[in-house]
Amino acid sequence: MFRKKHDRLTAGWVAVLAFVLGIETWVTPAAAQSPIKIGASLSLTGTYAALGQNQQRGYQLCAKQMNEKGGVLGRKIEFVLYDDQSQPATGVRLYEKLITSDKVDAIMGPYSSAITEAVANVNEKYKMPMVAPMASTTSIFKKGRKFAFMVQSPAEVYLEGLIDMAAKRGLKTVAIINEDTLFPKATVQGTVEIAKKKGLQVVFVEAYPKGNTDFSALMTKIRAANPDVLGAATYFDDAVAITRQMKELNVNPKMYGVTVGGDLPKFYELLGKNAEYVYGASQWEPELPYPGAKEFNESYKKEFPGADLSYHSAGGYGGCQALVEAIKRAGSLDGEKIREAVLKLDFNTVYGGFKVDQDGFQVSHKMVMFQWQEGKKVIVWPDELAAGKARFPAPPWNQR
Amino acid sequence: MGVTITPTMVGQVVISGLLAGALYSMVALGLALIYGVMRVINIAHGTLLMLGAYTTFWWFRLLGINPYLSLLVALPLMFFVGMLLQRTLVARVVDAPELSSLLLTFGISIALVNVAQLTFTSDVRSVEFLTGAFLVGPFAVSKSRLVAFAVAVAITAIAFWFLQKTKLGKAIRATSQSSEVAMVCGINVHRIHLYAFGIASALASAGGSLVAVMVAIQPEMGQVYTFKSFLVIVLGGAGNYPGALLGGMLLGLVEQLASLFLTTQLSEAVAYVLLVLVLLLRPTGLLGGRAT
Repeated sequence: MFRKKHDRLTAGWVAVLAFVLGIETWVTPAAAQSPIKIGASLSLTGTYAALGQNQQRGYQLCAKQMNEKGGVLGRKIEFVLYDDQSQPATGVRLYEKLITSDKVDAIMGPYSSAITEAVANVNEKYKMPMVAPMASTTSIFKKGRKFAFMVQSPAEVYLEGLIDMAAKRGLKTVAIINEDTLFPKATVQGTVEIAKKKGLQVVFVEAYPKGNTDFSALMTKIRAANPDVLGAATYFDDAVAITRQMKELNVNPKMYGVTVGGDLPKFYELLGKNAEYVYGASQWEPELPYPGAKEFNESYKKEFPGADLSYHSAGGYGGCQALVEAIKRAGSLDGEKIREAVLKLDFNTVYGGFKVDQDGFQVSHKMVMFQWQEGKKVIVWPDELAAGKARFPAPPWNQR
Repeated sequence: MGVTITPTMVGQVVISGLLAGALYSMVALGLALIYGVMRVINIAHGTLLMLGAYTTFWWFRLLGINPYLSLLVALPLMFFVGMLLQRTLVARVVDAPELSSLLLTFGISIALVNVAQLTFTSDVRSVEFLTGAFLVGPFAVSKSRLVAFAVAVAITAIAFWFLQKTKLGKAIRATSQSSEVAMVCGINVHRIHLYAFGIASALASAGGSLVAVMVAIQPEMGQVYTFKSFLVIVLGGAGNYPGALLGGMLLGLVEQLASLFLTTQLSEAVAYVLLVLVLLLRPTGLLGGRAT
């Protein structure tokens, strides 16, 4: 009896230890063969926790559903997941461990460009393919790495929809502002290129520091530049502040769009009517008619009742779909062979198109542009995915 | 790629600068008061502003009444919170070396921010009450900032009248000039400390209530106001109350004009360059230190 108690205690300590280390594994009931192990570290705690957890649920659901369909190569899939605490350095250590000590067969990416950039050196070293669903910084995939594959659209095309719609309506001038950090800067570079290509004149470009709350002088300059279109490469707080101060300084371009932050329900909650007519960019929305998306939404809600569903979840699922499809086509777990298969993929996941160029850079996935209309995000671009028509031009602020 | 700057644009940013400056002045006056009376630099000043902003937010969210009326609650409430902080914590470091008071108020700031994160969560909130602008000729004057300006000017005027004319105000100024002499003259210096911290907290929270209607509210919002207030009192002369007014207006104008003529990114740098210049050329501040 004493012995038994001791055993139970040991088991308890192992469980505690596993919890502390943040280890989460799914051990599938003994299959004929050992399962295929896919490793990843995710930001389950720290700054990116909410988003990393959404992505984790995408991975979990993917593994579960793939196994229900019989797995791949006749074997089950098992995820080995760790928590990188939103720290690039921790991510590097964990991917090193996944590959060398857990001996995983393939890996999926972590959350965020910053952590992906750091860990992409690890899998490269071991020639182990990594599908990285949550990195949208172009440079990660343009450094000659051969084993990192991008899933979402790059920062450069976030405002493509806004510019394209403006060009089709015959608008002539555009002003672009951005938070002065890596991702929004890339968006500005891309937008300037796209605007030139579509024949729009870029009349004003200026960056503002992270955490800026007073945009009065910036808005004064934009009012003087009087552009037809204003594009803002934002996160969230700044998107809200800019919208408010546009109203305060009566800056009223015919079209105004933001990149990140405008897609959150909170954006409308905070701004109310003033969010009407604002355009926003999005990687993915639940109502997009991609194959399997509807089923994905339903089973996600069933599997994780009450949990947040965002593009991070769908991206995690879609990236996992791409990796599994590549393993299936390669018919092998050899890194080089999987890589060859990924490079040949050209199909739709629940997240949209997936096709990468020789560098692993995503070329098929499309951003969508929505517009806030009566409290709802209505997808207005591109035409083939649009659910409604853009309300154009934006009326004066006091008539919204 | 930029725009040609016209006189109208300069006029517009001068308006924005003055509107912002009055608010800076009022908030910084609180910091100046605490420094003047106790020689304590209150790092938690911006945090008290944040609490004022949340008071207004919850008032508006739960009661749905005009957020500006929350000043009637926030001011007395934060006056007592300030006195409580002084009584329990800050009083212990008044005569200690400056590092002790810096560490203590820094600690208070961290603790209050964390309490706010736990109780209010770090979700960004806002009070959507008065948006948009009055259009006056070629100029746009933000409604919420205009109201904030008017209220800040009124509160600052009352604070000055109080310091100049009332017995308690005179006692505060006397303590600020020399606490030993004040004590010899029969002024209860500890009580003066208590009132000064209370008034300073109320001024910070008034700033918070006004800011709440203009920008997004979250637990870390106060930090930037601590820095700005510090900048203002050094510009104007630490412990010099009219100096805080001048410093606030100056900071508002410099920030806006720098954003206009240079870039928004450089405006903060310009403000700090100004700080270094003042420290080099007139270390006692533009109006000289401590003269009240």
